[in-house]
Amino acid sequence: MFKRLTLIAAALVCALAGSTAFAQAKDKVTLMLNWYTYSEHAPLYLGLERGYFADEGIDLDIQEGRGSGVTIQAVAAGTATFGYADIATMIKAASKGAPVIAVGVALQTSPMSVMGFADKNIRKPADIKGKTVAVTPGDSMSQVWPLFLKKTGLKETDFTTVSGDAQTKLNAVMTGKADLLLGYVMDQAIKLQDGAHKEVYPIRFADYGVNMVSSGIVVQKDYLKAHPDVVKRFLKAATRSLEEGAKDPKAAVDAMLKAKPKSGVEDTALVGMKATAKLYKGPDNPKDRPLRVGAKNMQETLTLLEQYGGLDKATAGKATDYYTNAYLP
Amino acid sequence: MAPNARPLWKRVLLSAWARPVLLVILLLVMWDLTIRIFRIPPYLIPTPWAVVQQLVGEWPKLWREGLVTTYATLGGFGLAIAFGIPMALFIAYSRTIESFVYPLLVFSQSVPKVAIAPLFVVWFGFGIFPKIICAFMLGFFPIVVSTVMGFKSVEPDMIDLARSMKASKLSTFMRIRFPQALPSIFAGLKVSVTLAVVGAVVGEFVGSNSGIGYLLQIANGNFDLPLMFAGLTVLSGIGVLLFVVVDVVERLLIPWHASHRNDFAATA
Repeated sequence: MFKRLTLIAAALVCALAGSTAFAQAKDKVTLMLNWYTYSEHAPLYLGLERGYFADEGIDLDIQEGRGSGVTIQAVAAGTATFGYADIATMIKAASKGAPVIAVGVALQTSPMSVMGFADKNIRKPADIKGKTVAVTPGDSMSQVWPLFLKKTGLKETDFTTVSGDAQTKLNAVMTGKADLLLGYVMDQAIKLQDGAHKEVYPIRFADYGVNMVSSGIVVQKDYLKAHPDVVKRFLKAATRSLEEGAKDPKAAVDAMLKAKPKSGVEDTALVGMKATAKLYKGPDNPKDRPLRVGAKNMQETLTLLEQYGGLDKATAGKATDYYTNAYLP
Repeated sequence: MAPNARPLWKRVLLSAWARPVLLVILLLVMWDLTIRIFRIPPYLIPTPWAVVQQLVGEWPKLWREGLVTTYATLGGFGLAIAFGIPMALFIAYSRTIESFVYPLLVFSQSVPKVAIAPLFVVWFGFGIFPKIICAFMLGFFPIVVSTVMGFKSVEPDMIDLARSMKASKLSTFMRIRFPQALPSIFAGLKVSVTLAVVGAVVGEFVGSNSGIGYLLQIANGNFDLPLMFAGLTVLSGIGVLLFVVVDVVERLLIPWHASHRNDFAATA
């Protein structure tokens, strides 16, 4: 009896949900994240929960990703409408012909850092000497790393390097096989803390004059041309989500944990969300709303990529080829 | 019709070594045509020509990293032989051991190695050892399964014959059981050696400062698809080469077997 009741209820819910979606005829869009959900993405889930996207007539589906590169390829191929991905990675893909462009930059101060457990007392670049650093070969941090070393007067021979994928880096530091890893202040720092229950001290690249924009919203150029209004409405909702998320980090984290219960632990996710919100403003545009990036900041990012990121100067072009603020509210 | 009566070009075209080469050329042409016809952009699939250019241009690096991967593969393959064949012997000869070990072995085979590979780095560090273990884990199972099958499928009549001639257990083993099992053992070795290459790369992917897996990771990070495909080509080359080596050893050891009676027919 009870079983039948639940079945009927389920059928009713389905019918209702179906009919409302049908009645309003919203634009269905997919946003593919750069990675599995973590605190950085919390504001997007807040916007979804509070209906900011629905208010703009957008039926948003958030998909988790496996690295910015894959996400950008999916957007370029039209598999995902929007991508939340590393803009430096996008620039590299675009310079190789991928028809993608950044329509908003979320993290305008670099979250890149070299971090270890606080009890190891590695708090300034000189402390890295003689230590072991875990890196992921080919990722954006490992490519900017030589510049950080140059600016801080360190040499590759001053320390030992071990390479591995994202999980191996964490494991290596957790088990003491490495003292430090290259990671994001709101990502790896939190994961280390959650895993070892020990405080983590990140040395931020941005504090030593190495700044580069990070995550942003990427869209296919053809899609942008064909559906400018959808992109505008999406960005309006996204801007609102980021603003509200920064104002009320706890609500954002709660929304994320409700949608993806395994994406983190409340306390540390909150720390991560607060750290993320601090990166929303770049050094050259402290008054702008989120996602609106400064021209100087983008130009510096491009220059850095040309010098250290393996970007070919001949095909690189101008910074404005890779982003636009024209669709932002 | 005697083969010598055919014209030279026909003999060359139809010779055993030319056929796979022809197929490869055909596939390359189809690959190139597909890219041209469907206008597939180079950030999704590179052109064969770009891959060849990388293969030539980056050859010293590919060779160096390829050697590292080959060492790990051979290490894992060697371990797989050293443990797999004796274990298969025990399983084939004792029902008790079989009932204890075999289910567990199948269970362990179903564990996805990719998922536990990061732990190998935690346990064994960043050296070559975790890659050898990875190669071993993938190469071990096929050897055990085919060796067990080989030892079990010895014809009972032959054993009866040996017994009637009062052959000792050892000489029955050396003259009948082992030689009869060899074809199956080699079938397992061939599967194993190609899987060991995969295992070594999985190990390198997870944590390594060298090897083809490391190169693939860097190429991936830079959207350098031609280099990535060049790396994959070298990797497949290593697989084919090791396969051929096993095949040649097999020919030397069991020239009498049915699969080798036609001169040089079943390589690769």
